[in-house]
Amino acid sequence: MDQIVGRSGTLLTLDQVRAAVSFDQPNLIAESDGKRIRLEGTYLVFEKGVVAAPDGPITSFEISMELSERYPRQEPRVFETGERIPRVAERHINPNGDCCVTVWENWLVEVNDHTLSSYLNGPMNEYFLGQFWYEKTGKWPFGERSHGLKGLEEAYADALGISNNAESLRYHLRLLSHDWPKGHWLCPCKSGKLLRHCHRDDLAAMHAKVPPPVARRMLSRLKADGRL
Amino acid sequence: MTKHTKIAKSHDDVLEELADALDIPPSKFEEAKSRYDSIGAWLDRPESSLARYSPAISPQGSFLLGTVTRPLTLAEEYDVDLVCLLQGSKTAFTQKSLKEAVGNEVHLYAAARGMAKPVVEGRRCWTLTYADGAQFHMDILPAIPDAQSYRQMLTEQGHPILATSPDLAGQAIAITDRTLPQYARPTADWPLSNPQGYAAWFRSRMLIQLTERKIEFAKREHITASVDQIPDHKVKTPLQRTIQLLKRHRDCMFADDADYKPISIIITTLSAHAYNEEPSVSAALQGILRGMDRFIENRDGQSWVANPVNPAENFADKWADEPKKEENFRRWLEQARRDFGTYLRSSPFNSIPSPLRENLGSDLVNRTLQAVLPAAAVLATPAVARPAEADQTRRAEAAIEQIQRDGPQSKPWTRS
Ligand SMILES: [Zn+2]
Ligand SMILES: [Zn+2]
Repeated sequence: MDQIVGRSGTLLTLDQVRAAVSFDQPNLIAESDGKRIRLEGTYLVFEKGVVAAPDGPITSFEISMELSERYPRQEPRVFETGERIPRVAERHINPNGDCCVTVWENWLVEVNDHTLSSYLNGPMNEYFLGQFWYEKTGKWPFGERSHGLKGLEEAYADALGISNNAESLRYHLRLLSHDWPKGHWLCPCKSGKLLRHCHRDDLAAMHAKVPPPVARRMLSRLKADGRL
Repeated sequence: MTKHTKIAKSHDDVLEELADALDIPPSKFEEAKSRYDSIGAWLDRPESSLARYSPAISPQGSFLLGTVTRPLTLAEEYDVDLVCLLQGSKTAFTQKSLKEAVGNEVHLYAAARGMAKPVVEGRRCWTLTYADGAQFHMDILPAIPDAQSYRQMLTEQGHPILATSPDLAGQAIAITDRTLPQYARPTADWPLSNPQGYAAWFRSRMLIQLTERKIEFAKREHITASVDQIPDHKVKTPLQRTIQLLKRHRDCMFADDADYKPISIIITTLSAHAYNEEPSVSAALQGILRGMDRFIENRDGQSWVANPVNPAENFADKWADEPKKEENFRRWLEQARRDFGTYLRSSPFNSIPSPLRENLGSDLVNRTLQAVLPAAAVLATPAVARPAEADQTRRAEAAIEQIQRDGPQSKPWTRS
């Protein structure tokens, strides 16, 4: 669980943010108000794993970014500030410029490296490369999620590796929320058997991939969105 | 290094050329080498009072590591650090008698060569200064082998594996220090040093790229000799190139505050730690600048840059009493990240943004660019480079295909 959500005691420092940003994204300036770290400036979009391209970046976007010192336990917020991206829902941006880069918990589960560097060069690069591609072609190169609750469910089902069924997803997440899946619960496959006599090993593997704090957060986020 | 003026096509081509331009020129390197070889031959001549100790002169520091950079101005000199090793013991010498025995012969050498400038005694070294124009001086460090005391020290400090390493501990030396109370007394208590061990550690941090570059060198020069027969100084790894660029950047940034600039051994040690055998200078700069400060330890509240072959030695020991030195290191690191990042990430390869230009020396940068770029290609710097639109689209398409092959990490959605 430590490696998936960061050690609960450690806080993100301005020095760590600068180490991640100052070389890779030299046009973003980092400042801290003691609680939150803000990044402001131009985000450069590159080919994956490329340090420098002879002609410079593929494209760039004006952004501001808010990082909690509790990153990566808390999701960063990214805002497009240049108004290059039209504020319409199909562009995956809210009217205030809030960019829906990806479903956070899905990224936490699918990727092992949760450093800020990894986020800047992974999902953020994919999001803005995707925006550029959408400008040119009207298509999302890596697919897209449904809006709102439905998109969350898709992303969580993907993270668990199960088919997307609202009830089954919630049942799995309740099982996974416990420090160890309870053997006397009914198996989520609906065989009617107890978990310990059925898909116990599958659940154990899922539990290793989606640790209880992440499962709990998925559940509470589904609840909060479901109430809206 | 043969001078190959070629047309640069990438950031890496330009960085390699810049590093080459601030390296010691091959002729100067050979000149320095032939001078210290000549001192070695003098000390070991039959009539030498030291002949029975088989004296040997060898480089240490940046000459040994291949990270020498040119002095910032013609008025400054290359500092050639040398070890003068006698096969003697602490029963045959006191620190004082060793220092003086070497000093005598160095004085005789200077007189025999008609060197006008006086030989100067330092705390640990003798300094030989050459005529104006030679642009270097030699710091000669009298020493005797003392791997035994060094290994014992490491063992007592809890580093048994390091202690038994032939490469990392086996060539340690005892040196002299005239400020110590036991300087003139027969004693086993001498200061210890281990420049060869440090160099072996440094070399181990870049062994793959060192071999790669030797293979390329052999191909280029049509040499059939095996790779281990090519001397290290014939090639430069991305680690060495990066350290040269960083030291130069430091020199320029602190030109007016040289006493408080980050010292080379700290930059070199942290860079070698953070280096991960990246095959290009650009990737090495990224890895090193992102990660070098992670290797500054915190030992009971004190910042500690451990000597990798003697962890109880703190290269940053001055930081505790002079916090400005630590602040300057951190300020320099942040500036270096931005300067190299701005060039590599947001500029086309043929346009060096002005902060980096100034912090590497405008003259050097201009001369180098003129040599490796067609005249028309030296551009004014836009804030962020903008490739042609068709080019952008083609690159985006290739970038997308690559991400699709590797598996994307994300999908956009919409928060409700
Ligand atoms: Zn089952
Ligand atoms: Zn000197």
